[in-house]
Amino acid sequence: MTLDDFAATRDVPSDDWYEAASELKGSGHDFFDWLSAYDDSDAGVAVVARIWSVRDRHGAMLRTRVAREGGLLPTLTTLWEGAAWHERETAEMFGIGFTGHPDPRPLLLPDGFDGHPLRKEFVLASRVAKEWPGAKEPGESVAGRKRPPGVPPAGTWGS
Amino acid sequence: MTALPDRSRGVIALREESCTSCMVCARECPDWCIYIDSHKETEPATGEGARPKTRHVLDRFAIDYALCMYCGICIEVCPWDALFWSPEYDHAAGDVLGLTHERETLVTWMRSVPSVD
Repeated sequence: MTLDDFAATRDVPSDDWYEAASELKGSGHDFFDWLSAYDDSDAGVAVVARIWSVRDRHGAMLRTRVAREGGLLPTLTTLWEGAAWHERETAEMFGIGFTGHPDPRPLLLPDGFDGHPLRKEFVLASRVAKEWPGAKEPGESVAGRKRPPGVPPAGTWGS
Repeated sequence: MTALPDRSRGVIALREESCTSCMVCARECPDWCIYIDSHKETEPATGEGARPKTRHVLDRFAIDYALCMYCGICIEVCPWDALFWSPEYDHAAGDVLGLTHERETLVTWMRSVPSVD
């Protein structure tokens, strides 16, 4: 078995998402490993699922892209019930939706949470609450004005 | 301690004489768990035409192992080879504050760092 067997990724249009997953299940990929996403900037949100064949000891990755605003995919919970939590987390973290999901509540974020923390435009506010140890310059013991990576200048974000 | 490969990754050791307080490790640390204080000292010029030299003197170097996720990025990025993996792992503490290893503790881990020669 080569690395390619583990890393083989099939890209499918979002319209074919459910059908492609269903085909994998039919070909012996019976174990739903995980589903998540990444922010692919202008290309949209890339959703990835990894399905495993227990019998053949073989994994398959399935990937599709949906729009950043209002992106929707059909749920895979009718194929694997265990996809429910993964889809809830992916929905809240990336601001996309899964149609037909039996329980589409946020999984980890508290009620009324504003924003989608794993999108690139989301500012890590906790990185402002704690003083950054790297803000000091060499030879100094008092924090300078250096901002931690990923935190935009004060006054340009938040309320 | 049970027999482990001597390059096992247990705890991070500081070779303080190599540290120039450059802050690279503290800035690269994803957990923000490295704390460094330093000050500048000026050495008078030696000889004719020479200028006074400024150097950084390390005052504090601490790693908070309650936050550290042992990723080893600090060791990787250190331009001066001042940080090393030590195979020692038995540094549990009864108090969370005891997991912040100050310089005095961090240098003791050098005793188990395999020789680079």
